[in-house]
Amino acid sequence: MPTFDYALSPVEVPAEISATHRAAWSRIASPGSWWTAPQRVEAARLARIARAGRNLPPWQREAPASDPGLLPDRAVDLICRVAVDVHALNEEWAREASAELGDAAYVELCAVAVCVIAVDAFAEALGVEAEPLPEAQPGEPDHLRPEGMVDAGAFVPMADNAAGPNVGRALSLAPADNAMFFGLVGSMYALSNFAELVWEQGPLSRPQVELVAARVSAVNECFY
Amino acid sequence: MLLRASSKAIGEEAELGGTVGMGDGAVPHGAALIAYAEAATRGSDELAQARDALQAAVGDEGLVRAAATVGIFNGLVRVADSIGIPLDEGTRAASGGFRERLGLNAYSGASNTDLESTAEPPKGDRVPDLFSS
Repeated sequence: MPTFDYALSPVEVPAEISATHRAAWSRIASPGSWWTAPQRVEAARLARIARAGRNLPPWQREAPASDPGLLPDRAVDLICRVAVDVHALNEEWAREASAELGDAAYVELCAVAVCVIAVDAFAEALGVEAEPLPEAQPGEPDHLRPEGMVDAGAFVPMADNAAGPNVGRALSLAPADNAMFFGLVGSMYALSNFAELVWEQGPLSRPQVELVAARVSAVNECFY
Repeated sequence: MLLRASSKAIGEEAELGGTVGMGDGAVPHGAALIAYAEAATRGSDELAQARDALQAAVGDEGLVRAAATVGIFNGLVRVADSIGIPLDEGTRAASGGFRERLGLNAYSGASNTDLESTAEPPKGDRVPDLFSS
């Protein structure tokens, strides 16, 4: 069982953050809609390994060894691109991968990878060891595809909901994993207070938080 | 957009150059926040020093808040780029000037947005206004 007690953290980690990290690990270890739990945990492992090599120049990076037969090569490639080389993931490549894997399966893998990266990046920023990955739970994918998805100009369909930023619906083809990710967003950034420009509570002002966010985005060369 | 709007909301004027490594953003403890965000995202050798400096500047709770922001935004940027979402209409319309000035239009993800669109900038300063036109 993941603990996420952050016992070795130099500073106390709020229980709300630990709780959403535990929830994410539990969700990753469960069957998804298109991938089994062992495949999802393998995706998490690959994302973690790939990210650890992010400081190597691209020509020195090697794709992490994957459990043979567990994930298609295209899925392994997708996970590594998301983790460490997301700019090599252009529209043409994404549409090919989405057609090969299935668009919802594509999104589900992206969601698993980004959740691991968010949790691992937090631990690294704080100076604590990364939590061991969870053990895969039994069960089968449910093959549920949400209705109401539309072409909103992204590589894959998204929910037909123009309220709020596009990033809020980017993973909507994988609703349970979208919820997992936005659980992390809520505890680590903002959710209920997202629409408030002035944050009275908390140790940092909103401009201070947004400065960190913007610098992270710029270092990652994220246009969005 | 949120940096500029939230700064304005408390009567300050953030300097957006801080986001691309120019200056301290004109935000309290901006230099320490920027150095920490950059070191943590890159995983550079300066991270421990940047962490200590930030902790001294903003305290334990401030450090955790900054670490959480670093973590989740390293996820959020990958959501945006792996799904190829276009810039929200209100943001696109209102950010042309600083995108050009800061060199953001050169990022590969810019190709996911129609930068020639002529939609009107948002009319209000509320957060929802920043994303729609």
